[in-house]
Amino acid sequence: MNIVENIKALLKEAGLYHSMGLLSEAMGKYKKAVEMIEDNEQLKSRTNLIDGISKKINLLEKDMHKVEAAADKPEVSAKVQDLIKKLFTVAEDKNQDAVALDGAIALAKFGQHERALLEFKELLAKDSVRVVAAKNIIRCHMANTSVDAAVDQYEQWLSSDLFVPGELNKLRFFLESLMKKEGVEKKLLPAETPAATPEPTIEMPEVEEAEIAVLEIEEDEDHDDEVLDINSIGITLDSGPRKGDIVELDVSFQSGNVISLLITHTDTDLIELFSVGETLHNIQFYSSIAMFGGSGIVDTKTHIESGPRRGDYSIDLKVVGT
Amino acid sequence: MAIFNIKKREIECKIVYYGPGRCGKTTNLEYIFKAYKKQVEGEMVSVNTEGDRTLFFDFLPIGLGKIKGCEVKIQLYTVPGQVQYSSTRKLVLRGVDGVIFVADSLEVRREKNMISLKDLQQNLKEYGISLFKIPLVIQHNKRDLAEQGFPLMSIEQMERDLNRQLKVPSFPASAFTGQGVGATLKECMKLTLKSLQKEMQIG
Repeated sequence: MNIVENIKALLKEAGLYHSMGLLSEAMGKYKKAVEMIEDNEQLKSRTNLIDGISKKINLLEKDMHKVEAAADKPEVSAKVQDLIKKLFTVAEDKNQDAVALDGAIALAKFGQHERALLEFKELLAKDSVRVVAAKNIIRCHMANTSVDAAVDQYEQWLSSDLFVPGELNKLRFFLESLMKKEGVEKKLLPAETPAATPEPTIEMPEVEEAEIAVLEIEEDEDHDDEVLDINSIGITLDSGPRKGDIVELDVSFQSGNVISLLITHTDTDLIELFSVGETLHNIQFYSSIAMFGGSGIVDTKTHIESGPRRGDYSIDLKVVGT
Repeated sequence: MAIFNIKKREIECKIVYYGPGRCGKTTNLEYIFKAYKKQVEGEMVSVNTEGDRTLFFDFLPIGLGKIKGCEVKIQLYTVPGQVQYSSTRKLVLRGVDGVIFVADSLEVRREKNMISLKDLQQNLKEYGISLFKIPLVIQHNKRDLAEQGFPLMSIEQMERDLNRQLKVPSFPASAFTGQGVGATLKECMKLTLKSLQKEMQIG
């Protein structure tokens, strides 16, 4: 192949590659053709040939620039966005909120951040997906807008009552870790656990001393409701061979401030201890939430005549002072 | 992952056309869309960017009718070939059942073919799929350009470059003229359905 044919072949190839969108390959062929022309002084109309190729190179450069300048993930039509959601939603859950969340995540993954943000924001109203939706809002801001936008969003949530402190702290850790990855070292304000609000003081109107007597609430002898549910009691034996021992007894039944205890017929020390009408001091009452000391009056003492506990004793003890 | 709808007796699987940028993946789908109208079940969707380059994917649903009493539906996808769309390629590959690797026969694209095959292997690996185990067919595209005197690699060279270890079925083709397009797809569907059948028997 002579030099002219070589150059023609190179230009043909370059033209084909350009038309196929193989832009760097086309550029390579054009440049090689120019080199060959420059190296062969005997060629006629060299300047014209090089000018012609330069024009083609200019067009090629424009196309290369357009491709480079095209956005990586531009916003596409709503129809295509719907298709993305349909094709790339993985959740087959029957939970509609989880499916909606997955659809919005698919949009975000394909760079459709504006619509994804709208959908994530709607999902903030759904308890089951609220925190995940919020994390994705942060992620969208980081990817699409800026770190500042993500921080602003977090601060808005911080001053609203949309999230409880634990959730806000999760979001803070999440945002801080994303910022760290971006090389931004910034500490965000943590969510504060609300301090126990002191009960408001009821302002009483000023009254005359005489009236106070009238306002005095009569002491109710039966404060049944005030006694906690008692699971068991501990009694210190103060006589007999086991004097000083603490005996723990389970409460079999409770009605208001009266608790029922079962004592086996073999536990004679205890049976003797519980005499009807007697007040027992230094009793430990154990409830599921507290332990407290107090006194009790033996209300009844019943010998069980039948059933599996036949022969044992049932004691009703009235809790009087705690 | 194919979807089996036992109630409807329907199988839906996913075949992805993979390959370097501008190798002819979209042209394959366009040809199928035109030439197999009876099987096509809807519009072909292309999401393109500057210079008709695939931005996200192309999508074409086709139906094969009933096979052993089961309705078989296939979703065909292409991936964007440009290097910068790696994350999108990975997204499109999720749940893939079969792959058609479209290789460019132009000599100048030799290296790009190999890079793209490596990229496919890596992306599949991230989903726990082996390139050696997935139903795979290689298509040596743009063979028609030889007639116009353009420098193409020989089939032997392309096989050595891409199929030496894989040893999967391969077809010379021209997506532009349609030559080899149907044969490539048919082979991939056959391998995919066989693989799914095997999976179902094991399961």
